[in-house]
Amino acid sequence: MSTATATGHITQIIGSTFDAEFPEQSLPAIFNALKVDKEVNGIHIKVTGEVQQHLGGGRVRCVALGSTDGMVRGMDIVDTGAPVSVPVGKGTLGRVFNVLGEAIDGRGDVVTEERWPIHRQPPLLENLSSKTEVFETGIKVVDLLIPFVRGGKAGLFGGAGLGKTVILQELIARIASSHGGFSVFAGVGERTREGNDLWLEMQETKIGDTGRAVIEQTSMVFGQMNEPPGARLRVALSALTMAEWFRDSTGADTLLFVDNIFRFSQAGSEVSALLGRMPSAVGYQPTLSTELGALQERITSTKRGAITSVQAVYVPADDPTDPAPATAFAHLDAFIYLERRIAEKGLYPAIDPLSSSSRVLDPQIVGDHHYAVARRVQKILQRYRELQDIIAILGIDELNEEDKLVVHRARRIERFLSQPFIVAEAFTGKKGSITPLKETIRSFEEICDGKWDHLPEQAFTYVGVIEEAAEQAERMAASVK
Amino acid sequence: MAKARAIIKRLKAVRNIRKITRTMELVATARFKKAMDRATEAAAYTKKISEIVADLSTALADAGAKGLSHPLLEKHAEEKNAVLLVLTSNRGLCGGYNAAVLRNAQQRIREAAGQVNLQVEVSGKRGINFFKFQKLPAAATYTHFEDKPTFEQVDELANRFIKAYINGEIDRLDIAFTRFESMSRQKAEVVTLLPIGQLATGTAAPAASKTAVEYEFLPSPEEILEEIVPASFKARLFKAFLDAAVSEQIARMVAMKSATENAGEMISTLKMQYNRARQSQITSELSEIIGGAAALE
Repeated sequence: MSTATATGHITQIIGSTFDAEFPEQSLPAIFNALKVDKEVNGIHIKVTGEVQQHLGGGRVRCVALGSTDGMVRGMDIVDTGAPVSVPVGKGTLGRVFNVLGEAIDGRGDVVTEERWPIHRQPPLLENLSSKTEVFETGIKVVDLLIPFVRGGKAGLFGGAGLGKTVILQELIARIASSHGGFSVFAGVGERTREGNDLWLEMQETKIGDTGRAVIEQTSMVFGQMNEPPGARLRVALSALTMAEWFRDSTGADTLLFVDNIFRFSQAGSEVSALLGRMPSAVGYQPTLSTELGALQERITSTKRGAITSVQAVYVPADDPTDPAPATAFAHLDAFIYLERRIAEKGLYPAIDPLSSSSRVLDPQIVGDHHYAVARRVQKILQRYRELQDIIAILGIDELNEEDKLVVHRARRIERFLSQPFIVAEAFTGKKGSITPLKETIRSFEEICDGKWDHLPEQAFTYVGVIEEAAEQAERMAASVK
Repeated sequence: MAKARAIIKRLKAVRNIRKITRTMELVATARFKKAMDRATEAAAYTKKISEIVADLSTALADAGAKGLSHPLLEKHAEEKNAVLLVLTSNRGLCGGYNAAVLRNAQQRIREAAGQVNLQVEVSGKRGINFFKFQKLPAAATYTHFEDKPTFEQVDELANRFIKAYINGEIDRLDIAFTRFESMSRQKAEVVTLLPIGQLATGTAAPAASKTAVEYEFLPSPEEILEEIVPASFKARLFKAFLDAAVSEQIARMVAMKSATENAGEMISTLKMQYNRARQSQITSELSEIIGGAAALE
């Protein structure tokens, strides 16, 4: 790797990629950061690029991590001699960064002892942690059917407008506010407004009863929709690097939230053709799984510390077989699939209890009782789904008595899977409920046993434990009178 | 292509269902015609005999022969043992027909619970299964009443009830069935058949308002009552069975018609989904090939 900085000049600019020419002997290495910092016609142009390819003849092809607007051929460009690096350490807590590790919250520069390059090796095989412990969230459907793993990765898959971001924010509100360690939030290619909302909300939310705001234990890194593809492609790595420091240097349990990992793949596909790669299935970059693997393999728990990660994954056109979500799927421990049919019924979180799954829903980890109840719930819902065509054609009266009972309970379970959210209090007018796992299991078991068959379906929507459904039924009966 | 193939599979299944429901609809229509003829024929007889019983009882009352009566007309002082006869179908695919009857029957059972010793007799496999599933005991079950109940079959049943009522073994007989009012109107209801008291007064009003007929009884009022009161009961019971049979066929016709329509709708949505899936598959393959070719240039 060249340490001496060399200066070259730009020879070609195509969209968000550009070529630069350097002297043959001081060619910048792959992934080195190159910087343009110049005034042209009174406009200050400051762009960082990352070397992607060596084209021969001293020319390198780079992805711009900022806008290439105003750049011209022949501009001087400086090799920094190292990849892009971001500040790491406790100084990053409470701050908001861009992809280059520059503070964008208007509170001045962040100076830390160390800066780490954003391209790093994943932890060695021998250092990986093999502990499996369930992570309780207080969300009924998640705890019962899709238990999260402490130090594992959970994915939220869903089409447009199904509430991925809301669930992610809910998890932040639930986990981060009761969590002792550090959190890192990566905003990848989503709405800037949402990032702003989250930032303001984190300043207000307090951690337990310590009186400190969640933001004081959180670093945020944003490369949102407005940024060029290069920024969206690398911002997840910047955030991850900060999280890795917390894991490796403090040994604390670290949370990493990414919204939205699909935008990372999308950004890759945007620059892929410009870099001259042949498009692969559905127009994605041929290196899709390599790119995602390089990112995902770093999000992992070691013997030193754990990174628990929750990632939102957009599913284009509600088609989970699309290569981008399908590739992301393989990396996750828990897999939450949001279903439009459920959202259309007005039941949130719109988690599909049958398509979603978790690696740890295993009697050896969650215990026989939990496992048995979860399977019973799934069985009832599965049967209901199978019967749906028959019901649509022949009507519910044609079912035999057992199936009628299954449908009766399935409809109640379906509604009982919804839950009021803390972050949605303003919209639902209901206080968010945190349901302990034990109560969740008991509630679902009692519904399966038929103890609550007498309550009307509507009573099961947006409640916590089953007794609240009974109360809601009474309130409903009272309001009718 | 995985998605498109799954849609085709569903499409085939729905097509088969539609074939069955359409056939069922036609069969039900044919059966309905026959059952309807039988019911209307019986209706005239039942109506007349009810009128005669009503006339007779008023005439008897007018004649001052108050002492004359028939045990089936008399209400027992205490209602201890009752019977509920539930008429359901042997076969399914008839929409809400059985559900409506059973709902009424269940309500009657709930009302009776704790007060009267109610025995339930069920006709039709659907009802039998329902009671079995609900773990409600049925005193007797019948499956031999098909869509053409004969008078002999009903007569046997009726004689048993008459005997039991006269002997005081039962104090009340209700029947839960679907009354056939017209092509477009059938109503599931619970009707008290014994004691017949209600019938006499129920239809007496319009009959009596005409002109009180002067009757001459031969050989004697007692003997005539002895004959005509059980006949009236039997006719009503038989009519209930016939009504139930007609209503079943109508319910099946309607249910199968709407099922065929629903299946048709589902077929068209599935077809559209399949076409879309197929088209998008072609589009993406084309764009991949063109993209690949362009990249190679």
